[in-house]
Amino acid sequence: MNAIQATSFSRPHLKLSKDVLQLLYRVAGAGLIFIGLSLAAENFLSVNNLLNVLRQASLLFFLSSGLTLVVLTAGLDLSVGANVGLSACLSAAAIKATGSPALGVVVGFAVGLLVGVGNGLLVTALRIPPFIATYGVLWILSGLAYFYMGGDTIHGFPPGFRQIGSGYLLGIPIPVYLMVFFLAVGVLFAQRTTYGQQIYAIGANPVAASLSGIPVQPRLILVYAVSGAMAGLASLIFLARANSASADLGEFLTLQAIAAVLIGGTSLFGGVGTVFGTFVGALILTLVLNGMNLLSVPANWQPLVTGVIVLLAVWLDTQSRKLT
Amino acid sequence: MHKIYTAIAGLTVIALSQGGALAENETIAVFTKNQTNPYFQAVRVGADQAAKALGAKTVQYIPTKPDSIPEQMSQIEDVIVKKPNAIVFVPVDYKAMISGMTKMNDAGIPVTNVTDRVAGGKSVAFIGADDYSLGLETGRFLLKTMSGKGNVVILEGVKGSLTSIDRVRGFNDAIKEAKEVKLLTSQPANYQQLQAIQVMENLLQAHPKVDGVLAANDAMALGAIEALDGANRNAMVVGINGTKEGVDAIKAGKLLASGDYNGFLQGCIATAVAIRALRNEPVPKEIILKPSVIEKSNYQPYDVSLETRSCPKWEDVATLGSVTKP
Repeated sequence: MNAIQATSFSRPHLKLSKDVLQLLYRVAGAGLIFIGLSLAAENFLSVNNLLNVLRQASLLFFLSSGLTLVVLTAGLDLSVGANVGLSACLSAAAIKATGSPALGVVVGFAVGLLVGVGNGLLVTALRIPPFIATYGVLWILSGLAYFYMGGDTIHGFPPGFRQIGSGYLLGIPIPVYLMVFFLAVGVLFAQRTTYGQQIYAIGANPVAASLSGIPVQPRLILVYAVSGAMAGLASLIFLARANSASADLGEFLTLQAIAAVLIGGTSLFGGVGTVFGTFVGALILTLVLNGMNLLSVPANWQPLVTGVIVLLAVWLDTQSRKLT
Repeated sequence: MHKIYTAIAGLTVIALSQGGALAENETIAVFTKNQTNPYFQAVRVGADQAAKALGAKTVQYIPTKPDSIPEQMSQIEDVIVKKPNAIVFVPVDYKAMISGMTKMNDAGIPVTNVTDRVAGGKSVAFIGADDYSLGLETGRFLLKTMSGKGNVVILEGVKGSLTSIDRVRGFNDAIKEAKEVKLLTSQPANYQQLQAIQVMENLLQAHPKVDGVLAANDAMALGAIEALDGANRNAMVVGINGTKEGVDAIKAGKLLASGDYNGFLQGCIATAVAIRALRNEPVPKEIILKPSVIEKSNYQPYDVSLETRSCPKWEDVATLGSVTKP
């Protein structure tokens, strides 16, 4: 452990001020969109709308937070969306068959976790490159989901279960509490634990990490397992929210989740990025959709507007890196 | 004596027709777009039922990646080698599949085109329903129930998809007919339930008074209802496709109506046409099914599982839509 703290790729606290500065720049991207929208759309600043945005961002954050750890190791998990789909379908089936939401929660979470561990084993034990391994798993998972569902949907869940997606506590949506919790856990884990530091080290230089005694393979399995488990968790919130499961539930999610991670400043080459940045990335993507809906941007213009804003946010971020 | 002869003759005819049907045992290859949309599941079950009733069998071809052009193309190449007696064909893309049509034509396998009309090639017949009138009729039903006044929003499907463009055009024309109805906005939610929840939540923030929602499919309609419930707001919602989930919501009084494209009937009729053509029985060149709007007063026939529905009698097909003779 001491070896890690002494190596140059750990993150000494001396750099904190620079980190904080970069973080501010990243938040500034979201801030500009925020200010722009509050000027342009009259209902944007209402408490209800802001809670809406947070709740919508939370769904994306669950997926992209786990994914952030994977990307920090210079890996990738393309199976997160399909994992959400399969976990949600099996969880829904378990609830329908037994009437027990608790069992559904266990099933959804366990399926997600197992898929994650499977990804980790493919990447470590079989040494398949992460892109290919998780791409293959994507197809297997969506194949299983399609086969299992046969084009049907499973819908109508007990009100108690639905609370985790659509309930409120003290006027704030429950998924928002969950997001704050996982954001805190994620930031502390990545920034303040030895495990977290080791993950950064592996991403920065796997050979050096291995030479300095970091158990690279187990840590890699860990990050894929976390990514899978978060997909399992997300599937439960999605299920509770939509009150309906279909095989294609997660289809649109993978690319969005990856986008949130990258917009948040995490590098695909590994070793650079933060879970908080991913939170900001998820917020930016959600704000863009919210803004386009509030401003009634015509359907055909929406992809173009999304693309331009995403590029602007990332450009701002790279500029900030040059300055700091 | 005479009576006995007639009886024997009669029995022989029955035996022959039954034996004939069983002995035919044609193989019909059925192509659909994906495993995700329940509509295509209905087409497949309809095709299976019709084939079973006529003593033929089906083989289903479905791309594993939904709506994949290369995958359907390679399935066509596959099927040409296997040589089924006839093909019932839903193209994943009406333009890209012209070359697929040509290949099947060249192989001499008769093709009955269903749902989306391929923009080229030769087919025995086209069986479909048009999305425009589906949108129009479903929209009209909503606006009539709203007594022709109020504020509405449209939830569009996947941008640029033919079904969404035509349905939304139908919605818009229905809205134009009702002078006192105001269209607040028309936003895409990609036919996805979860996206529809989020888009509808956003729209409810921007518009304090929404009385009606026109969604281009049932999944989005149900998403809109979730968002309305979550915000403690009320609006009448219509969807399209007549899915199981949609019918359940109509039964529960949550969804006002769902326009039905009737995949089951399309599968039935197209397969019957394919088999009749093989047996040299007369078939029409085109059947466009009338859209039906499923609502509280008429949902019962749809409230049974697909497998227990039965195909209409061939004699009744003409009453279900407009038939074009060859």
